[in-house]
Amino acid sequence: MIQLLSGVQSTAAALDAERTRLNVISENIANANTARGVDGKPYQRQVVVFESALRQAMNSDGTQPPALQVARIEKDSRPPLEVYSPGNPNADANGWVAMPNINLHEEMADMISASRSFEANLAAVKNARSMAQQTLAIGRH
Amino acid sequence: MSGMASRLETFSPEVMPLKPSETASPGQVSSAQPAGDSFASLLGKMVTDVSAQQNDALQSVRAVQGGQNVPLHQAVIGMEEANVSFQLMVEVRNRLLESYQEIMRMQI
Repeated sequence: MIQLLSGVQSTAAALDAERTRLNVISENIANANTARGVDGKPYQRQVVVFESALRQAMNSDGTQPPALQVARIEKDSRPPLEVYSPGNPNADANGWVAMPNINLHEEMADMISASRSFEANLAAVKNARSMAQQTLAIGRH
Repeated sequence: MSGMASRLETFSPEVMPLKPSETASPGQVSSAQPAGDSFASLLGKMVTDVSAQQNDALQSVRAVQGGQNVPLHQAVIGMEEANVSFQLMVEVRNRLLESYQEIMRMQI
């Protein structure tokens, strides 16, 4: 198959990774106040770790394929936030409730960063497309 | 110098056999077969490729609309690739037709 948009594969993988990151951030924000998750513990913040992986198959001409960015989801290890709220049904004997240790400002800053990275990759795709189209327009009058 | 001359003499026989085909008379040109695929089969393969690419793009768009776990950007990038391939095909066809018309306009 002809590859007209060069380098678009790694860009697509990066877009995928950024999308995963945005999904995880949305999940963190949505569960910022979940004091009791399915396991009975407060929701644990998730973080996305980016890695670069090589595609398993080599290219048909024997050249090295581009490194693709992939996202791995891991749990944040920071301890839950103890909040004094005696009336809360989840409170212990002393009135303390363990809440997820999620800082909305931090999540928002992460979201801006992920969103901008996504935009940058979209710009790369757009640029590859426009380069191909301008090349096809050589000699057109 | 003499060594170089002898080398040239040993070299020239390899070049010589090429000459007769180059200076073939115009009547013999039509009988010569091109080494690779014919242009028509190349163009046909190109059309098939573009069609396959457009089918792939359509499949991924359908997968997105069908709620399968296919990212939106993958569908859009697939469509763009199909679009650029199609433009390349149209460009080749335009050039071919242009050359044909140029030949047809030729004064004899």
